[in-house]
This record gives sequence, C-alpha cells and structure tokens, in this order.
Amino acid sequence: MEWVIFSFLSLWLLVSVVGAIFVRNPVHSILFFLSSVLAIAGLFLSLGAELIAGLQLIIYAVAIVVFYVLVITTIPWEKVKRFEGIYKRELIFGLPAVSIIFGLIAYLIIRGNLAEPVGTVGDNVREVGRTLFTSYLFPFEVASVILLVAMIGAILLGRKEE
Amino acid sequence: MTEVGVSLIVTLVKIVVLLGVALGVSAYLTWFERKLAGHIQARLGPSVVGPFGLLQPIADGIKLLTKESIIPKGADVPVYYLAVVLALAPAILLFAVIPFGPEFEVFGYKVKPIIADVNIGLLLVFAMGSLLVYGTIFSGWASNSKYAFIGSLRKAAVIIAYEVVLGFTVLGVVLLAGTLSTVGIVEAQAEKGVWFVFYQPVAFILYLFCMLAESGRVPFDIQEAEAELVTGYHVEYGGMRFGAFPLAEWYLNVMALSAIAVVLFFGGWSGPNILGPLSPYFWFLAKMFGLVFFVLWLHWTLPRFQARDVTEIAWKIMLPLALVNLVVTAVVLYMFGGE
Repeated sequence: MEWVIFSFLSLWLLVSVVGAIFVRNPVHSILFFLSSVLAIAGLFLSLGAELIAGLQLIIYAVAIVVFYVLVITTIPWEKVKRFEGIYKRELIFGLPAVSIIFGLIAYLIIRGNLAEPVGTVGDNVREVGRTLFTSYLFPFEVASVILLVAMIGAILLGRKEE
Repeated sequence: MTEVGVSLIVTLVKIVVLLGVALGVSAYLTWFERKLAGHIQARLGPSVVGPFGLLQPIADGIKLLTKESIIPKGADVPVYYLAVVLALAPAILLFAVIPFGPEFEVFGYKVKPIIADVNIGLLLVFAMGSLLVYGTIFSGWASNSKYAFIGSLRKAAVIIAYEVVLGFTVLGVVLLAGTLSTVGIVEAQAEKGVWFVFYQPVAFILYLFCMLAESGRVPFDIQEAEAELVTGYHVEYGGMRFGAFPLAEWYLNVMALSAIAVVLFFGGWSGPNILGPLSPYFWFLAKMFGLVFFVLWLHWTLPRFQARDVTEIAWKIMLPLALVNLVVTAVVLYMFGGE
C-alpha cells in the first residue's frame, strides 16, 4: 500500500516543481512552489517524521512562503507580465555544472550509505527537543543570533530617514 | 477483510459523516445567527420561509447557486477559482484532528471518533489556521481590483499577527499535557481531573481573542466590516463562490476553533455520564456550541476596535503576555511538577 501513497506524493511533487520553474507568471510560480512544499510535508508524514512534516507546514508553507507571496502580489502588474526571455548565457554556463552535481548526488544516493536508521523513535517531538537542547545547543543559539541580526538589519533598511 | 481495507473504509465513513455534518450545521448556523441577531436587536429575524424561517438557509443556498457567474475583467481565472478552494480546504481540514469522543468498539474493530490521530495534532491546527491566509491573499489579488487587494492585505496582516500569538498561547497547555496530540491533551486532563482552563486562564483568554480575530468576528472585524467596507477581499466574488468565504471563515472556522478550545481548555469529551454511551459526544458538542454561541453573542453586542489597534494589540500586548505566560508556566512546572 505504501508505494501508492509514495508515488502519488512524488508525482505531485515533481509536477509542482516543474510547474514552478516553467510557468511564466510569478504568482502561478509561487502557487506551484507552495504545492511542492505541501507535497514534501506529505512525504515526511508518510515516512513517519511527523514533527518535520508539521514544521514544514508551519515554517515553510506558511511563515516563509507567505512573505514571498506578499512581496510578489504587491509588485505592479506591468512588471509581473513582462517576460525577460530565457537567460541563454546563464544556461550555457549553468547546465554543465548542474548536470555534474546531479550526477554526483545520484551516484551518492544509489551507491552510498547516506542515512542509516537508528531503530524506531517513539516520540519525535521529545527526541528532537532533547537533541537540540543538549548536543546541538551552541549551533542552535548561534542560528538564533544570526536571525536576530538579520531582523535588526531589515528594520534598519526598512526605516525611512527622518 | 484485511486490516488496511477496514481502516480505509472506517476512515472514509468518518470523513463523509464529518463533512456532511460540518457543512450542514454551518449552513444552519447562518439561520441561527440571523435569528439570534434579530432577537438581540429586538427584531424577529428570518420568519417567512418555512416555520420559524427554518428553510431560509436552503432558500439562500438555492439563490446563491443559481446566480449568474460574473468574473471581473482582467482577473486571473485559475487563481480566482483556486482562492475559493484555498479558503475552504484548511477550514474543513481543521476538523480532521478534533477528537469527538473516546475510543469504542464496533464488531470487534476499535474505532476512534477522530479522523487523523497524529501525534502532532496541534501543529496541524496551527498550520491549517495559517494556510487560511492564502485564500485571503489570492482572492484579493486574483480579482484584479485594488479595493479587494487592499482588503486582503488588511486581513492577511491580522491573520499573521494573531497566528503568532495563538502559537505561543497554546504552548502553555502543551507543556502541561506533555504532548501535542489532541487525544493526548484530553486524556491528560482526564488523568489530572482538572480542566486546563483553571491552570491556564490567561492562555484561554488570549486564545479567545485569537479565535475572534482569525475568524473575523467582532471586536476584531474592522478589516472586514461587512456593512461598511463590504468585507474587502472577496468583494469581486458572486454567487456560491462568494458564499464559500463567509461559510469557511465565520462558521466552519469558528466551529473548528471552538472545538479545539474545548479540547485544550475544557477537558474535551469529559463530563458526567447522563446519556450512557452517547454522553461524551453530548458533552463535547454542548461545550463546543456553547463557545460558538458566545462568539455569535459577542458579534452582535460589542463595538469594534480601530483598524490599527487590532494589529497593535496583537504585537504589543498579547504577544508579550503570551510569552510571559509561557515562561511562568515552564518555571512553575519545572519547580513543582512534571517529570
């Protein structure tokens, strides 16, 4: 039964990712992106990582994407409709690099042993919290300081000179 | 029959029952609200269609469904339709994590009266509550109308602000219960023998405010103000597509958030056994509709806050209060109780 759910979710994910890249209207693109984020949350849920699925929904699908949406929807409509063409130079330089990286990652996934299951985890929330606040306390706090700096910077940039 | 097949069928039945009941009840809540508003304002309310105006929601539904469909010029048609779905779907999905009663047995199979008993139930509640913001933003944007778009931004600012407060408010209850699962929270209250509203009165009041603001109810409804600003974000919608927005926001959302409040603060289905096996459901629904009634009552009694006050209250007063409540709860729990 699991493969039905997995194939449905991954098909959904692939369609929305491809859509997000090839659609010309930025609002449609962000909608496809939102749909891909939801599909990833579904994949996490089907893999038994409930906490990550919930955080994916709250932080990614709402907190982050909503600000993209607010920015994109407030752009004047004439700018939204303008199509700048395909970036040829970037394509020529980018395509080899991307395909090499894709090949490397594919090789790693097929041949390597990237993730090893550590046995069943009873309570995701408890385990993640314990790890975050014991083994990884310092990186965690540093990340929050970085976010604080970014926030203060945004406030400074957004302020009008008086 | 296999285990998977049975659980699929049981889940499907649960979904169909819940969907039918939720949509039917929310349609009749419109009748109830109009009747209540009428009596609060010394009028009769709907009284012409059927006895006591009971057929009014059906007449309204037929009217809305048979209206000519008008799409504004220059509207983004796919997004225009999608916005209705984006507004309705999260409001309905909220019901998936609400436990209506304890586990029972039918023909040897154990059945839980909850659709998705996941152990991140509350996180899903926050997620769905926040996903509602997309219906608002995209309905305003896709209508190709500045008036609707400004309305949607107004509403989005309120939803985002109160969703943050809601998250921090509920964390106090989560600390007390030690779990994010909705069933687990109800069971924790049954085990302790006390409703969390007595341990977390501040959290309950803040939750009530958030609930009113998220569902666009008085006193936090200046961003919609249906009589004066004609609601703003769905002003360009007609027919049933227009009807879907208030249905989702004013009725489904209020019912779902009231049910969550019952789960968090009022002990869920617990109550004296007066109706035998049906008594948990009775208590759950009685508490839930008591809260819904309270919301409707406020709506037709109080005046509104000013527009800038609504968001200012959220960020400057309620968020600090929620944080203080959370810290105090954590400290007290660490000193005197817990593991």
